[in-house]
Amino acid sequence: MLVKTRFFGEAQIDEEKILTFENGIMGFEEMKRWTIIYDIEKGADGAISWFQSLDEAGLALPIISPYSITDVYSPIVEDELLKPLGEFKDEELLVFLVLTIPGENPKETTANFKAPILINPANKKGLQMIVNNEDYHIKHKLSDTLKNK
Amino acid sequence: MLALSRKAGESVMLGNDIELTILEVKGEQVKLGIRAPKDVAIYRKELFEQIQAANREAMESAIAGINNINELFGN
Repeated sequence: MLVKTRFFGEAQIDEEKILTFENGIMGFEEMKRWTIIYDIEKGADGAISWFQSLDEAGLALPIISPYSITDVYSPIVEDELLKPLGEFKDEELLVFLVLTIPGENPKETTANFKAPILINPANKKGLQMIVNNEDYHIKHKLSDTLKNK
Repeated sequence: MLALSRKAGESVMLGNDIELTILEVKGEQVKLGIRAPKDVAIYRKELFEQIQAANREAMESAIAGINNINELFGN
């Protein structure tokens, strides 16, 4: 399908790249269909991708693999809360953190460790989950986590 | 919004498998006990609202041209 995106104009998205978030994400509960867009030319290492709504072209937020910014990311969640993802193997689950990048000062970028986006690649179902880890916060400064790496 | 008056030790049922119990009332604070199936997520509303706000803020991230974390730091 041809979709309008926030930063990449119109893009051709294969049906298999459509992700279903039955509960949307927090603050955007009505947005059920999303996809992930990335700039292949820049390479995969440390790559920022875009979590793009397929229902509303203007909605896209930057995401990143936690392992691009920290060595250890071990979210603690109740297994039962992952039921909406269907059957999956732990090691196959895709995990992304939402980035907030202030346009005027990108060095102040923060990552949301407290509410990762989880996707089951087998059935393309996803959700955003609040994790129990006390030391994971909504706004981790990227400059700190990268320093500690 | 439905408003029910309850005393300490009394409960309210939400559906047939969620029980909300008033454990203690002390001045302005009420201590709640919640018994619910494990697949029901329970959070303080403030936390939920903070994450909603963080997602909205992330949507404002204006980073045309930045596609890699190293670029954020001018590398």
